[in-house]
Amino acid sequence: MEFEAMEEFERELRQALERRPAPPGLKRRLMEKRRARQPHSTVWLRLAASIALAAVLGGAAEWRHQEERRKGEEARRQVLTALRITNHALNQMNAQLAAHSRNAQE
Amino acid sequence: MAHDWQPDFEQLVDEHQSMVFSLAWRMTGDRGLAEEIAQDVFLELDRHLGKMESAAHACFWLRRVAMSRSADALRRRRVRCTDLWVEIDEHHGIRMEERSSPLGARLEELLATLPEPQRAALVLRYQEDLTPEEIAATLEAPLATVKSHLQRGLKLLRAKAADGLKEYVRVKEQARGI
Repeated sequence: MEFEAMEEFERELRQALERRPAPPGLKRRLMEKRRARQPHSTVWLRLAASIALAAVLGGAAEWRHQEERRKGEEARRQVLTALRITNHALNQMNAQLAAHSRNAQE
Repeated sequence: MAHDWQPDFEQLVDEHQSMVFSLAWRMTGDRGLAEEIAQDVFLELDRHLGKMESAAHACFWLRRVAMSRSADALRRRRVRCTDLWVEIDEHHGIRMEERSSPLGARLEELLATLPEPQRAALVLRYQEDLTPEEIAATLEAPLATVKSHLQRGLKLLRAKAADGLKEYVRVKEQARGI
């Protein structure tokens, strides 16, 4: 008898404690809050991406600058070498001309 | 072992919003606060979405966090149990006809007067249909303690309900047209 009464009471309690439907609009308000939070994190992501991009572009510009400088140095070195060769050739020619003049005078 | 389950936030909200809201409402007795708690719980789920291993894990996680957040809210607000349903009727306008039955309404009122640990155990047992072992895991409490809360809570609730039983029987007989 007592057991049955308790079972009946538990049945009533289970029925009384059925889940209630969530308030209308709870999901909509929740999704709005969620969206409102996301731009905050997106700002940080965008900032991080901008910094990374700036670093890559800066690195590329610096590399290009160094490369141009290296090419300039290389060209300067080649010009100097060419001038040295020309100078050497002219000196040789001068020496030959001088020798030729001496021979002619003798 | 890698799990194939991919959590879908919106789907989890659709499936569990009623559960989370009902738990928070029955624990705090405040509809507005329960909605706030439900939103907080789901926003926290959103932050931990990557850690959810299965649908069952997500459900267990939501129950645990909903109960924990409700307990925190109760501590913050220092709401006395006996005032809970008075507050509901005064500030949130829940009418009797919205409830399932006069006894159901009375049992909900009486449930709100129980000590918080007993209320938590009974809500999880009779709303969520959890076993004492599952309740212990959800509340992170020893099994013996949970069993004790269930037993004492049920006994206390029944004793309180018995006081109004005659009135309930009269109303029920009237409804049946006896």
